[in-house]
Amino acid sequence: MNPGTLIAGDFMSLLATHKLAPVPIVPASTAPVQTQATTVFAFEFAEGVLMAGDRRATAGNVIVTDRVDKVIEIDATSLLAIAGVPATAFEMARVLQTSFEYYRRSQLQPLSLPAKVRALARLLRENLPMTMQGVGVVAPLFAGLDQTVSPAKPQIYFYDPLGAQFQSVDYVASGSGSGTIRSVLSFQEQYGSPRPSQMKLGEAVKFALRLLMVASEFDSATGGVNPATQTYATIKLLRSSGVESITDQQQSGFLKI
Amino acid sequence: MTEEPYRWLEAVANRREYVREQLKRGSPAFAASLPDGILLLAVGGGQSKVFELFDRHALAGLGHPADIEKIRQAAIDAAHTESFTRAPEDVSLRRLVSFGLSPQLKTNFEQIFTAPFLVELLLAEIGNAPEKDLLLRLHFDGGFRFQAGGVMVAASQPEPEAAAQAWLNGSLAGKTDRREVADVLLQAWWCLVENKPFGEGLPEEAQRQAGWRASSSERVVELGWLARNSPRHARYEPLSLAQAGL
Repeated sequence: MNPGTLIAGDFMSLLATHKLAPVPIVPASTAPVQTQATTVFAFEFAEGVLMAGDRRATAGNVIVTDRVDKVIEIDATSLLAIAGVPATAFEMARVLQTSFEYYRRSQLQPLSLPAKVRALARLLRENLPMTMQGVGVVAPLFAGLDQTVSPAKPQIYFYDPLGAQFQSVDYVASGSGSGTIRSVLSFQEQYGSPRPSQMKLGEAVKFALRLLMVASEFDSATGGVNPATQTYATIKLLRSSGVESITDQQQSGFLKI
Repeated sequence: MTEEPYRWLEAVANRREYVREQLKRGSPAFAASLPDGILLLAVGGGQSKVFELFDRHALAGLGHPADIEKIRQAAIDAAHTESFTRAPEDVSLRRLVSFGLSPQLKTNFEQIFTAPFLVELLLAEIGNAPEKDLLLRLHFDGGFRFQAGGVMVAASQPEPEAAAQAWLNGSLAGKTDRREVADVLLQAWWCLVENKPFGEGLPEEAQRQAGWRASSSERVVELGWLARNSPRHARYEPLSLAQAGL
């Protein structure tokens, strides 16, 4: 992009005029030990979309922390779940947060859902050199509101690390522990009663917490849920009215039902 | 002209007169700090006059729509760049105006061969407590004045603005209800646009209320609310008259 060109409402071009690269590409001769590994997922439940993630970050076989929030509110109608290298993923989230709000405030209208979905795809494509080097791989999930229908309908999208975007049907998962819970989600969707899409809020939150418990049984890089140590997940909902967070206290309450 | 100091001073004085004349029919804007948030209010003919700038910041003003738009864009660009390169908490009204908007307005006003900005503006920053609220009056020549909390008026002419400000300081003292405050601000708006005196001869409250309702019926009353306690980063929300209880 020409550094002098400012596209109305486009925060990336505003950054370019200041010669600020949002996700700088810094090639290195040796790769550092990456902080990564995750289980994040989203599924449709009766009242909208539930997006959840464990809270563990690892570097190799070292647990770095069990207090990472991998499900991020991008704006009042969008959620991002990050899987992959946090350094890149958190920066992408920050770029999206600022870009969406910048567009809404400067253009006096919200960015459309397709434009939001493509904005993340663009960041992933721009991260291609780091992805190819294997030091900055990000495979996120995105949920946004389709406001062209009434009431607004929550939609789930997932991406490959090269930036291809796909709309999900019913559920999606990403990260090192995703294989396990995809099996559970698939089973529950086909044979479960209720199916995830029929679950009420309490059932959906309890199901999400149990999914993470199962994932952590088979994936050491996924932090589990342990009420005894007050370790819970990050859970956010996207309803037609917007984003809502489920607190640790609420999760504790739903687990007891 | 610029090599002769007297003629330069005269040219600047002429510009001031020109801007005031152009703004004469502008509809005033208001901001009031309340326990639960900051209320911004303006009445327009269809063009927006109250805007969200950033998470905790809003703007209201009068003047030429294109000039208001330029200032608004400049403020939004600066706030979002600052937020991205540092943090949202680092975006402050004081820095935004002192080092950004005010110098630009002053430079533009004193460059006598360019068109001046036809604007009178109010900016607001919500704090964690009412005493931390910041209201700012920004003039077309770059002059500005900060005030912690309270109420602030932006009108096209200095004398009526000062009279309305003094009356509102007294009338809103102790008032905390948003509906009540919006009603009083609209009464002040009506008095300003109808050239009613704020001292002796001020119409009765019922007349003022009937007055603003009649005068605003063909126009758009814009209300902006910066909420003090909100789970979201973006504290601003536009309100309708009905939402404000009017």
